[in-house]
Amino acid sequence: MKRARRMLARMSGLMLILTLFVTACGGPATTAAPPPTQPPAPTQPPAPTQPPPTVSPTEMRPEELTGSLTVLDWAGYDAPEFWTDFQEMYPEVDVNFEFGASDADIYAKMAAGDQADVFHPYTGWLQFYVDEGLVEEIDTSKLTNWDKVPEDFKKIGQIDGKQYFIPWDWGFSSVLYRTDQIPEGVDSWAALMDPKYEGHISMWDDGPGAVTVSSYIHGWDETQITDEQLAQIKDEWIAQRDLNLFYWAGQPELDEGMASGDVWLGYAWQGSYATLLGQGVPVAYADPKEGRNSWVGVYGIRKDSPNYDLALKFLDAKLAEATGNNVVNIYYYGHANQDVMNGITDETLKEAFSIDDPNILQKTNFTPNLTAEQRDAWTKMWAEVKAAP
Amino acid sequence: MLDRRATFWALYLPPLFWLGVFFLAPLALMAAFSLRADMSGNFLEGWTPTLKQYADLFEAGTYWRLLAISVLMALIVAVIATVLAYPVAYFLAFRVGVRAGFYLILLLVPFWTSYLLRVMAWKIMLGSNGVINSFLIYAGLIDEPLPALLYNRTAVVITLIYVWIPFAALPILAALQRIDPALFEAAADLGAAPARRFWRVTFPLSLPGVLAAFFLVFIPTVGEYVTPLLVGGSQGSMYGNIIQDFFSKAANWPLGSALSMIMLVVTMALVLVATRFVDLRRLIE
Repeated sequence: MKRARRMLARMSGLMLILTLFVTACGGPATTAAPPPTQPPAPTQPPAPTQPPPTVSPTEMRPEELTGSLTVLDWAGYDAPEFWTDFQEMYPEVDVNFEFGASDADIYAKMAAGDQADVFHPYTGWLQFYVDEGLVEEIDTSKLTNWDKVPEDFKKIGQIDGKQYFIPWDWGFSSVLYRTDQIPEGVDSWAALMDPKYEGHISMWDDGPGAVTVSSYIHGWDETQITDEQLAQIKDEWIAQRDLNLFYWAGQPELDEGMASGDVWLGYAWQGSYATLLGQGVPVAYADPKEGRNSWVGVYGIRKDSPNYDLALKFLDAKLAEATGNNVVNIYYYGHANQDVMNGITDETLKEAFSIDDPNILQKTNFTPNLTAEQRDAWTKMWAEVKAAP
Repeated sequence: MLDRRATFWALYLPPLFWLGVFFLAPLALMAAFSLRADMSGNFLEGWTPTLKQYADLFEAGTYWRLLAISVLMALIVAVIATVLAYPVAYFLAFRVGVRAGFYLILLLVPFWTSYLLRVMAWKIMLGSNGVINSFLIYAGLIDEPLPALLYNRTAVVITLIYVWIPFAALPILAALQRIDPALFEAAADLGAAPARRFWRVTFPLSLPGVLAAFFLVFIPTVGEYVTPLLVGGSQGSMYGNIIQDFFSKAANWPLGSALSMIMLVVTMALVLVATRFVDLRRLIE
């Protein structure tokens, strides 16, 4: 008995220490992401834009090229399928991945001095990289696959008239709904705010996304939202919150909610549409009268990256066909290489991209670039929606 | 003399270093960040401190209300978790005898799975086609699944209570074990019935552990964000979610830092007030 108690005392003491440790780690006040301690790149000596002579591509065959490259990307995009052409051509190059959880996260990391050579933001979140001098201009003359990219997509990567980014993946956003619950169909973004669907709506957890939807509904120019309009948008989303089941942050949350039947309609990327179609869930992707939204993912090269040439090769291979086919077939997203898109034969995918609808791109609104002021104001608006009584 | 001083520093430097690097430095950085006007520019140079973020927060009153709600939720969670943990600790301390080690391990088994998994399990319990709803439909008590079980503040509170019970049991257990068994015998000899013995001897002597359990649950729960994110739905956000959003979704670290600093100050103030009310030293004596 006595021995047992002593053992118990010792064990509980140990556990207490462990507990306190775990609690300390879980305590939000002490673990809020520590601000960067590293000053951004400009304080460093100017880095060479040419790789060391030993890896000069003109003298060596691609398979002998060595070196290493760091890519700041979204979780999942590190899968070898999404850079298979590069791996085949340059098997000796080390490619390391870092991850960002959102556009805001990737931007915050780059602004804080992240040393990644290549990073992957999406439309809407491009202007500040140029304003803050975080991104290097792309030398498109060195890209062998550049002429396969349609002009409209190239323009997406141009800021202030210069090609800072190369477009890579793209897709639609629209209202996705279950046809068994909503047989009458959905013809407007306003369905997301329709009290008829109380408790069965799921909106994307994103302030700028909410402003986009509201400006479509009201027919406002989303680049010119006034303070009064923003106040009205806030009130409307606060009212919508009572109808909304949950805000989804990652695509699987929405997919799961719609598949289980809890969610009848939601703001969705067409990746969700294709996934649910593939699972046999009765869903349809609305063609709202205000037009669908579309977004494009782009890659940029960090300013002063010592691996500029290698990064260009990486991006060129990202545009190649085998990689593009994987983007289409695995994630159901579009790819910037037109040959890839023309080669799609799968009926589900053709439907997801509305490839047979010749007018779909005219009915689409590309996400415009946010300014830093809009970013701060719109994300604040969204936080106030969540915090509202 | 010199030896003693050397020993002193050898003992104190490592924890001081640890505390400084992993606690004080990040806290100081966060405080500095909360005084920035925005994210642009170099962190080390070229910016003047401003109280703009705090002014913005005072202007947008909604955050204060949410902080009050979060404090209230943490209070409910801490009280209920402590109350429910007490019998568990009592059982472990006095009733299981030699198998105490085994039962203690049983209590701690949930910690061997990820926190996320345990919260997801509650989603399976409370979901519209989850365990509770399926059972009620099977038993013929309801026809349609109750939607109100998941995605609201109640779901957050229930899940948090569940998560905290084992944590809360540990300090209470430690306090109960410190009680000298001779005291129980003395009380019994003097004619105290078991219930009286508990309320006059056991319970007062275990109060330090109860208070420790309460604060152990209360303080981290004020800033909780994972649980509301998973089971809270659109109306279940807590103050911690807003902080997380400003860091991860808004790229607005200065405002997120200001919100964090406010939470830190408010929580510390609440704990100070509480310790004034309850004289800890008197309890321990």
